[in-house]
Amino acid sequence: MAESGVISAYVERLARALDFDPSLSRSVRREVEDHLWATVSANPTGDRLEAERLAVTNFGDPHVIAAQFAVVSLAKRARRVGITAILVIAAVFIAMKGRLAWYAVMEGPAGPMGGLGEMVVSIDRWAFWLAVVVGIAGWMYVDTRRIPAAVTPEYRTQLRRFFVLCLAATGALIASVISDGVLTSLRLIGTSWSLDVVIPLASMAIEVVCAGWLVVSIRGMTHRMASTDQTARIE
Amino acid sequence: MEGEMLKGHLDMIVLAALSAGPAHGYAIIEEIKRRSAGAFDLPEGTIYPVLHRLEQAGLLAGRWVTADSGRRRRVYSLTKRGKRELSKRRAVWEQFSDAIGSLFKGSRPWQNPA
Repeated sequence: MAESGVISAYVERLARALDFDPSLSRSVRREVEDHLWATVSANPTGDRLEAERLAVTNFGDPHVIAAQFAVVSLAKRARRVGITAILVIAAVFIAMKGRLAWYAVMEGPAGPMGGLGEMVVSIDRWAFWLAVVVGIAGWMYVDTRRIPAAVTPEYRTQLRRFFVLCLAATGALIASVISDGVLTSLRLIGTSWSLDVVIPLASMAIEVVCAGWLVVSIRGMTHRMASTDQTARIE
Repeated sequence: MEGEMLKGHLDMIVLAALSAGPAHGYAIIEEIKRRSAGAFDLPEGTIYPVLHRLEQAGLLAGRWVTADSGRRRRVYSLTKRGKRELSKRRAVWEQFSDAIGSLFKGSRPWQNPA
């Protein structure tokens, strides 16, 4: 029997209402489509068009459903940012330690770096460990929050707190990466182009990319918070 | 049953419906209707955000399978954490239900002191 298009039109409306999260929208669309066709198949009346209309009506307003999904999308995004922060900090740590191991293998223990070098090393150390502590605190905070049934003001406050922790961790990490850049420059000034230079530069590039990835990830979360704001108010 | 009352217990209802074994959204709704003898007749669309939320919380695991009809459908099952959570909620609910039951048993029709 030919489809009337009632279900297609409905899932299209629902998918559009979930536009704030494209992957969730695709997944929910497939899931709901399957549900609606299962409902139509189970309808005993034999009137296909009426069965489709009834299935759609019983399913509910797409905008209300999208509003209920907004909290899921926000929670998923926030938890992903928390994990990204941990992974990025770990990657920066490995790149930093790898570079220092390379220096040790190539040149032996480093000599005194002077006043500027000592100060930058100190900033680097403090900034990095601050990023570690705040990053772990942020991840634990967001991971242990209960996901409510709707985007409540309390949940928004929790997300804002997490956002502040993320910003603090990212700021500290960027300070650490900049310090690493300064230290690497001090070490490589006057060195001719060789493998001795490529490895430290590659490790620095990894650090910069990691910090950039974290910034992009946090920016994505702010966009998600803004785009779900309107949808979540519908419920 | 009052919609608001039902809303407050949706998580527990869905977890309980899945205690029989893995099921997709439509089957979960049918199971809820069957076990509650039609008392919990929910707007069907409200179940899916709950399923996704419980999955995000680690209480459910979802996976895509291909149905006999050839359509792809998402099947949910309780995780170990979900089973523990259900046991916990059941214990709290039974305690609450017993307490309310005792209150009703001991109550008498209201009499005007005047």
